[in-house]
Amino acid sequence: MKLLLALLLTSVASHATTYYVTVSGLGGEPDYEQHFAMWAKDIEKSLKPAADSKVETLVNATREQVRGALGSIAKEAKPQDALVVMLIGHGSFDGYEYKINLPGPDLSATELATLLDRIPATRQLVVDMTSCSGGAIEFLRKPNRVVIAATKSGTEKNATVFARYWVEALSDPAADTDKNEVVSALEAFRFADKKTAAFYEQQNRLATEHPVLEDTGKGEGVRAPSPENGEGMLAAQFPLLRIGSTAAAAKDPAKLQLIAQKENLEQKIDKLKYEKAAIPPDEYKKQLAALLLELAKTQEEIDK
Amino acid sequence: MKLLAVILCAAASLSAQTLQQAESLWKQHRYEEANSAFRALVAAYPRNADYRVRWGRLFLERFNAQEAAKLFNEALEIQPKQADALLGLALVAADGFEAQATHFARQALEADPHLLEAQELLARLALEDNDPAKAAAEAHKALNMSANAVQAKAILATIDWLNDKRDTTWDPHNAAAYETAARIFVLNRRYEEGIQLFRKAVALQPDLWSARSQLGINLMRLGQEAEARANLEMCYANQYRDAATVNTLRLMDSYKNFVTFKTDRTILRLHKKEAELLHPYFESEMLRALATYDKKYGFKLDRPVQVEVYPDHEDFAVRTMGMPGLGALGVTFGYVVAMDSPSGRPPGTFHWASTMWHELSHVYVLNMTNFRVPRWFTEGLAVHEETAASPEWGDRLDPHVIMAIKDHKLLPVAELDRGFVRPEYPAQVVVSYFQAGRICDFINHEWGWQKLLAMVHDFAGGATTPAVIEKEFGIKPEEFDKRFMTVLTAETKKTVDGFDDWRKDMKKVAAEYKDRDYEAMIRDASGLRDTYPDYVETGNAYQLLADAYLEKGDKKAAIAELDRYAKVGGRAPDTLKQLATLLEEAGNRKEAAEVLDRLNYINPVDEELHRRLGDLYFGMGNTAGAIREYQAVLAKSPTDPAASHFNLAKAYRSANRPDAAKDELLLSLEAAPGFRPAQKMLLELSK
Repeated sequence: MKLLLALLLTSVASHATTYYVTVSGLGGEPDYEQHFAMWAKDIEKSLKPAADSKVETLVNATREQVRGALGSIAKEAKPQDALVVMLIGHGSFDGYEYKINLPGPDLSATELATLLDRIPATRQLVVDMTSCSGGAIEFLRKPNRVVIAATKSGTEKNATVFARYWVEALSDPAADTDKNEVVSALEAFRFADKKTAAFYEQQNRLATEHPVLEDTGKGEGVRAPSPENGEGMLAAQFPLLRIGSTAAAAKDPAKLQLIAQKENLEQKIDKLKYEKAAIPPDEYKKQLAALLLELAKTQEEIDK
Repeated sequence: MKLLAVILCAAASLSAQTLQQAESLWKQHRYEEANSAFRALVAAYPRNADYRVRWGRLFLERFNAQEAAKLFNEALEIQPKQADALLGLALVAADGFEAQATHFARQALEADPHLLEAQELLARLALEDNDPAKAAAEAHKALNMSANAVQAKAILATIDWLNDKRDTTWDPHNAAAYETAARIFVLNRRYEEGIQLFRKAVALQPDLWSARSQLGINLMRLGQEAEARANLEMCYANQYRDAATVNTLRLMDSYKNFVTFKTDRTILRLHKKEAELLHPYFESEMLRALATYDKKYGFKLDRPVQVEVYPDHEDFAVRTMGMPGLGALGVTFGYVVAMDSPSGRPPGTFHWASTMWHELSHVYVLNMTNFRVPRWFTEGLAVHEETAASPEWGDRLDPHVIMAIKDHKLLPVAELDRGFVRPEYPAQVVVSYFQAGRICDFINHEWGWQKLLAMVHDFAGGATTPAVIEKEFGIKPEEFDKRFMTVLTAETKKTVDGFDDWRKDMKKVAAEYKDRDYEAMIRDASGLRDTYPDYVETGNAYQLLADAYLEKGDKKAAIAELDRYAKVGGRAPDTLKQLATLLEEAGNRKEAAEVLDRLNYINPVDEELHRRLGDLYFGMGNTAGAIREYQAVLAKSPTDPAASHFNLAKAYRSANRPDAAKDELLLSLEAAPGFRPAQKMLLELSK
């Protein structure tokens, strides 16, 4: 919550822009072709209403088109901006290099990393939803960059369904699990990961994709980001999509005091939750109820 | 010449010595060494069929029927009428309940008319096929070969024991013979008596591990787990490690992952990963079925019924047969039912409630008859009960059954058990279930439920199928078959006669849909739907028609088509959800909720289903339903815990349970302190 406030204040002060680039690659078969294009367009639909954002969707894109789009952002973006690149399609990995399949020459992870490195936006998120995408992590990881891959390694070669649920994460309010009206990269990852696992479980099929997240710039990518494994901190702070009235409230300087009060209460709640195991259940419940009531009252004031 | 003679003598003595050695090692349970000795023997004498047969028998005893069959077949290639090899193949087929067992045993006897073991096997096979007269005749032939034929005595004694004649003159007083009798009792679902016979077998010969293993497995089936484990562990420790023993021990180790729920009448054992979710649905359905059957059967069970639900089908298969790979969905052992969990099957392929009602019917019929009921009748009645509970439940007329009717493959009622025990073609078990069910439907329709109940009592008295048919209907079984077939033929004529064209034309309809020629498709598919209305599997006419209507913008017609699909027993979750969505959009919330509630009996392991149904119930003012469904959402560790707790809080609030509502609200806000709707309700409840 503290991080959210920081982000909101940053947003108010500097009018940062988030650049979204969605690329859907070669399907190979009409069914995949159709799905990849549909998912890319659905992402675009979810992102359009967002303020301070620029959205570019490249369906069945060539390598030149991807180079062009990222090159333009490199010229335009500022350090306080954010960049989100989402890749949908089939990928390949030969043990050395990962590539996303595009019409004409494929785009390698090495080249994609070079293109991303040229973009001044400090905060970056790459969501590679193709098969074999786990093989791209070692090329794409970098401090201040969150990398999400649909597969845990380059050897998971079957077509993936992760993209389908990533799309859902951008349109289903349920993805905003902490209900702060911002879907973070971590929340979207967890939502899509859970739905992907449920898909295989319901179909009674052995899962052929295991999504991972890496945001330390040096890790392998983990299935369950947590403070214990040190992954997920940056992703939790990365606002992928703002929904509802949070953005509006953040723009009103008169509300900043209340927002600070709210943040203070949220910190106390977080602390209490952290200490839950050490407090008798009734006492915990009593303290939690009091803090939550106070927070609700504060929020009511902010909403007026 | 001298040298050659020496070599021949040496070879002959090596042969005799090695065979003797191999047999001796086998007898001493030194199986690995015996196996090596046989291998060496066969390598030295590749044209000797007898050695291969003996080696095959070792494999058969040591749980490798595949390798045994291979050796028996190799022996027959060397010596085409080798009687022991034919007997070996008969034993392999008998172990797998294959119809060829009798054929091979007869061939073995033709090759060697004095082969006692083959004659005894024929007696056993006849009794397994529920033909005691034939079994007795075959057993007497064996006794004519040898007055000490203990397996023949076992068969004659078993016939007497099955008929409750305790003081038989044929008591074999032999452990292996008691084991044979015990296995036949188990086959007749008379587990308690089977266990007693296994006990007698191991009392006489404590190291008869095959009998001890079966004792353990059957004790496990009846829920006597401590003694079961002790016996199975003893087998394991003594190198008796067939798949059934090992799998059963492994399964028992997994019991720690199960949770047990009890009421006065029910014991429900669920895997802890899904216990919270399934408990309310399974328990309420058990109680509903028991209350219904109490009245229908006029019989009160004297103890609670235990239902065990296995999310891993292979665990269920081990629980029931000791071996994975079982095709069944549920099995009943007296008062214990083991069944698949809906999570263990692909969504839409398994109606758990239908299976549960089927199995619980067995609990009544088996206990009312003290397990003296032919398989066809108890299965037929159980199938009948599925559609009696709801016409949408039960199995549909599937292509295997259509082909069996078309090819006149249905069995006479007096021989219908054969279709269950020793099928002659792969689909015969499925066909026999269908036929038995339709026979019970036919009796119920023509003579009423009381007649079926009278048959239950007749079977309890030990009557045979022909005798019961004659007593209750005053006609010979042949006449009964004729009347039944007349009715069944009339009912299925349109589908059976049109089946070949239907198969061909369904491809044409699919092509029309692909070409977006919806007018032609709707015209053709409507006719095909009516030719084979029971076809609700992938690519069915209902779904194609509904899709075509939606393409044309005719939602009303699409709803009507999908409604037909649901009512005829269609179970695909996506299709039923699509119907619910269309109904909701058309403002028919009640019908939409009914459609989604159907899915609770098919695929309750679905968060979205419970959330949608909860919302519908809540909107309709059905707070009890909403509470159940929202609790089910939470039991699945939902993707959105805050919203899920909040929904439940709303339902509790509507049900005037403010304390429960507040608890849920706190859980919602604990997960998401900034969740506005929950904050708003907290403020309202705190005023």
